Amino acid sequence: MTSPTLAPADALAASAGATPPPAGDDATQPTASAPRRRRRWSRTAIFGLVFVLPAALYIVIFQLVPVLYGLVLSFTTYSPLSRSGPEFTGVDNYAELLGDADFGNALLVTGRYVLQVLPITVVLALALALLVNRPFKGVGLFRSALYVPHIVSLTAVSMVWLWMYSQTGLFNEVLGFFGAAPQNWLLDSDSALNAVSAMRIWKALGSNMVLLLAGLQSIPRDLYEAARVDGAGRWASFRYVTLPGLRPMLVYVVAMDIIYLAQGFAEIYVLTQGGPLGSTTTVNYLIYTEAFQYNQMGSASAMAFVLFALIIGFSVLAVRGVMGRQK
Amino acid sequence: MDVHSTHACTPRTPRGRRHARRATALLALGAATALAISGCAAGGGSGDSDDGGDKTLSVWLPGTNQAEIDLVTDTIVPAFEEETGAEVEVTYVDWGDISTKLNSAFAAGTAPDIFGHGPAATADFVANDRILDLDDRVAELSQADRDDLATALPGGQVDGVQYLMPLSLQGYLVMYDADAFTAAGLDPDSPPTTWEELKDAAETLTERNGSTITRSGFLAPSQAIARQQTFATFLFGEGGTLVNEAGTEAEFASAEGADALDFFTSLYTGDDAVSANLGEDYLNAPAAQQPLVQQTAAMTIQAPSMMQQIVDAAPDRDLRVMPPLSFEGGDPAAFGGAGPGLMINADSKDPDLAWSFIEYMLSPEVSTEYTQGTGTIPVRASAAESDYAKNSPIITAFLAASPDFQTNPNVVGWVQVRDALDKQLERALNGVATSQEALDEAAAEADKILGANG
Repeated sequence: MTSPTLAPADALAASAGATPPPAGDDATQPTASAPRRRRRWSRTAIFGLVFVLPAALYIVIFQLVPVLYGLVLSFTTYSPLSRSGPEFTGVDNYAELLGDADFGNALLVTGRYVLQVLPITVVLALALALLVNRPFKGVGLFRSALYVPHIVSLTAVSMVWLWMYSQTGLFNEVLGFFGAAPQNWLLDSDSALNAVSAMRIWKALGSNMVLLLAGLQSIPRDLYEAARVDGAGRWASFRYVTLPGLRPMLVYVVAMDIIYLAQGFAEIYVLTQGGPLGSTTTVNYLIYTEAFQYNQMGSASAMAFVLFALIIGFSVLAVRGVMGRQK
Repeated sequence: MDVHSTHACTPRTPRGRRHARRATALLALGAATALAISGCAAGGGSGDSDDGGDKTLSVWLPGTNQAEIDLVTDTIVPAFEEETGAEVEVTYVDWGDISTKLNSAFAAGTAPDIFGHGPAATADFVANDRILDLDDRVAELSQADRDDLATALPGGQVDGVQYLMPLSLQGYLVMYDADAFTAAGLDPDSPPTTWEELKDAAETLTERNGSTITRSGFLAPSQAIARQQTFATFLFGEGGTLVNEAGTEAEFASAEGADALDFFTSLYTGDDAVSANLGEDYLNAPAAQQPLVQQTAAMTIQAPSMMQQIVDAAPDRDLRVMPPLSFEGGDPAAFGGAGPGLMINADSKDPDLAWSFIEYMLSPEVSTEYTQGTGTIPVRASAAESDYAKNSPIITAFLAASPDFQTNPNVVGWVQVRDALDKQLERALNGVATSQEALDEAAAEADKILGANG
């Protein structure tokens, strides 16, 4: 049975149990019952508003207004210490970013960080999801163990890894056991970002695995049986059944990973403070320095909005890349 | 079907009216909540009373040292409250958050009456008219008090005007393992007096496994920010300065600066390197993991509170403190001077009460009690006669060294200048630039910052 297309008020009334008006004249011309329907809808709307109001207020006051204020600040010079308030400078902050070597370096570092964490995380998470998607003894424990890093706060995890990377930490102890010399994991500009990336991959693996596992379990078993009947082997089943079925979840995982990784801060703050030689200074870390160490809220806001635009751009590209192939 | 929705669509039955009343009540509740939220947002302030009733003072102290918190909360504040009848609300803020929280509080108009910070932050508060000029109040102190505080007061001045009252002195000296000296054939009773001698001793004390240093002969802080202080230590030892007297131009890119940075770099590079792990933050490691305790270093630059913790963590070891060193032909110097202190918010509604609290904190007994509790160097010269100083060879050594302390300048934009210098020092230490190149680039950047703020 198909439902007739309803106007919003009618749709609400219909969903509330009232009989929808027949399509045709009655649906568009005022009738004697119209004022009454409007009154009913108004009451329903009030209830809806009351329930939505707290969340809407929260979103507007604590999310939209600060974001808009940040956008305004990006066109000003402003120090929170100043008594004079923000001074409008037009697009100067954005223009200065074009020639800012530190910002350029931070963009490159952020891009490299995303590119070296994302593919490895997704591929490993998919492999683990495939592994734990089959029944074996202790699979629940295994899944839980892999998910634990996601539950622990990133700062706390970073503190643990800071010790593991230290001169007397776990990794150098292991190297020493095999007779190898200790490494300056976080103190060498060639290895610092790789070391941070390794920690981030470990941290992101569990949540990605759970999401992809959910995706795997939503693929109808019939499709695999049909593929088997058609003579498909394991690889063909994976290529032509699993991957297409996982696409919506893969899009979500990739987009969310890009968003989170491009905003990397806590791990950098704890592990390297942006060093050595700026090799781990991500855009978010640079924004923190600019805003909270130098009190340059205007230029920090401009950096934040450039990062925002880039994240949106790359996320849309990634989504289109996956969805486009599906089409 | 949704029962709730059914009622919403029926004509006004008694139950329907109840729903309408509930809706009205919920709307009223929502409005009340919104008003409450806006009321809360409009409230706050600096914590002092508006009604002329009880005197309340809000104080933010940086740091989360439990000994300091216990001492201030349980002893110092109750005694002040009893003496003045005022109520003091003390908030302890982690050092890493103090600037951020103060900035937010100033922007929101909720900054405390008194707050603590390091001297390096003072000039920016002054430039934005956020703190009170304390010159007149200091002038009202007795001459004996002013003389007693003479070493510390200049560190709290900007352009010769007192804005910050230091609660302690800070400083860094070299601590050495006398047992390691003896084992290496060096005389621990005649430690090096110059940096050149120290480097020679460090070469003797350095132990290697192949090309890897397993025990550093000498370790100086080389992590971000601290490496600027280490460079300043060597620069002062060479007789150089960081900025000119007016605070408008950098002066560290001098011959003395290049020599100081060459010396710093030589600790980590070349066949004669004596220090391992460039960039590692050992200063803030727990006492049990300190290189002197772990015996992965024979000499390290340290602050007094950590030196005491190191001694406590290795009670069987003979650990001693060297006096300030110089380069050959120069005068001894060490990085140090006024430590963190208290400032009064320019918008405080009771600045007299705020000053009373600062005076109380700096009174001879309370000041010594405070520095003893925090393990820092007393701010009063007379504290040298206190039991705290007499019973602690470490504090005695630091008090004796205090005339040779030199510190960073209090100029607007110093934090940015320091970071610009720090970035270039890192390049030189890693061999990316020569000492002179790095200092020239840092000086150009610093001049730009100082010029913009001057």
